[in-house]
Amino acid sequence: MPAKPLPPTDPWTEPYWTAARQGKLLIQRCKTCHHYVFYPRLVCPHCGADALAWVEATGKGVIYTYSVVTNNPPSAFMADLPFVIAVVQLAEGVRMMANIVDCDSAALHCDMPVEVTFEARSDEITLPQFRPQR
Amino acid sequence: MGTFKGQVAIVGIGEVPTGRFPERSAIYCAVKAAQLAIADAGLHKDDIDTVIPTTALYNAKFNTDLVTGRIVEELGLRVRNNLQLFAGGATSAIMLKVAAGLISTGVSDAILFVHADKLGSGVSGQEGIDLFSTAGISKEWEVPYGLHYSAVAGLITQRTMYETATTAEQLASVCVSNRKWAQLNPLAMFRKPLSIEKVLNSKILSSPLHAYESNMLADGGAAFIVTSAQRARTLSERPAYLLGEGSRVTHFALSQEPDMTRFGYAAAAADAYAMAGLSPADIDLAELYDSYPIFQLIALEELGLCARGEAGSFVLAGHTWPGGKLPMTTNGGMLSQGHTGAGGGISILIEAARQLMGKAGERQVPNARFAIETATGGTYVDAHVTLLGNEIP
Repeated sequence: MPAKPLPPTDPWTEPYWTAARQGKLLIQRCKTCHHYVFYPRLVCPHCGADALAWVEATGKGVIYTYSVVTNNPPSAFMADLPFVIAVVQLAEGVRMMANIVDCDSAALHCDMPVEVTFEARSDEITLPQFRPQR
Repeated sequence: MGTFKGQVAIVGIGEVPTGRFPERSAIYCAVKAAQLAIADAGLHKDDIDTVIPTTALYNAKFNTDLVTGRIVEELGLRVRNNLQLFAGGATSAIMLKVAAGLISTGVSDAILFVHADKLGSGVSGQEGIDLFSTAGISKEWEVPYGLHYSAVAGLITQRTMYETATTAEQLASVCVSNRKWAQLNPLAMFRKPLSIEKVLNSKILSSPLHAYESNMLADGGAAFIVTSAQRARTLSERPAYLLGEGSRVTHFALSQEPDMTRFGYAAAAADAYAMAGLSPADIDLAELYDSYPIFQLIALEELGLCARGEAGSFVLAGHTWPGGKLPMTTNGGMLSQGHTGAGGGISILIEAARQLMGKAGERQVPNARFAIETATGGTYVDAHVTLLGNEIP
């Protein structure tokens, strides 16, 4: 079975991954138009300005939508079955893909409150994940 | 925005059976489909001046052959241009727009579009899942979480059920509707009767998506020819004119889609209806891109063919079946004809033309004048709406 995939990193996303290793979820905020931005970009997708600053997210959010994967996943995820994949809407308004972990999958629902947690996938890469708010 | 209304038409179509055919090569599919389309148009091969193959996903080397003119040489064509055009599942819609541009500016007169792929037997089932767990899915922000196409459909279906009260039975009925049409389509991969119970009793892949609500990767080949409306009238009594089109690109990474229950269809449809001078009440046929049942339901609503939240009960009531008031995806779609890659959407476009040209045989919808068609690529990143008719309103 292939190892679970690691995200490619870029110089401008490095602060995000460094923070994740330290248990912090960073997102960006445009200094010109003040919109929050996820995923990390080179340019603000709202106003086009080249002025994105890093801010620590609250780490709280709700499940916009989710799916419990029980069959036919990518090879690298076969051993994880069943697992939950979700789109989480952070309190700041931005959305991100993540797994919902430490949960009863039968109790999940859209708009359910969740909070960030972290999964170390390699020495370099820690993935932000989410679990039901406690 | 300019208008293409009534300027070009599809005059010839060709398709080989969709399914798993290990002994049948992809180039055979490409050449046979092209040959059928040229003959169907009543053209001679030397009339074609531009060949536009799309991408074959199963094999990069075969794809490079298509880029570098293999179809031109295999068919002995005398063309000025050979180029590849690919927008994933939205390729069909992009092809028509490019045809309209090239033909209305005089760059081309008769364009042959070709697709051939071997995703059914050229890759294993697991290789297909793995291929599509990275194709069009963000390597940084989504692949590491195990996103793949069943999960994409699961996520979108879950949110739509939550917001609109669409039921599992209604979703299953979309698969049944598609199958009823495929039973009348000799080119389709799956032609045995299908029931709602059978869909709902199949295993869950990614909740709430059942196995029978997932398309099946397949081998296939399809081709069509577009020319000017003026020339089309000399070739065919009922060509399929391009009447209107509209489109929106709304995301790359699925998590960035602002509304997973709507996408960009409403705005795209408004543009298409305005260009064509048609409204939802004029539509005889809804050739809607499926790949998963939720996308036909979303399209029915966003295109104005059903009210929000009512598409599921509309399909469950049988209105989209053979004999129904709004025939939908009459080739059986990717759920029943099979998913050939970029060809899945091309087959749906060809089916729209086939119906309008009166060539649909046992499944011919009587007196069909105007068809609406959708196409979308990747994780449903774009919404394309095309209006076709066998007359120009």
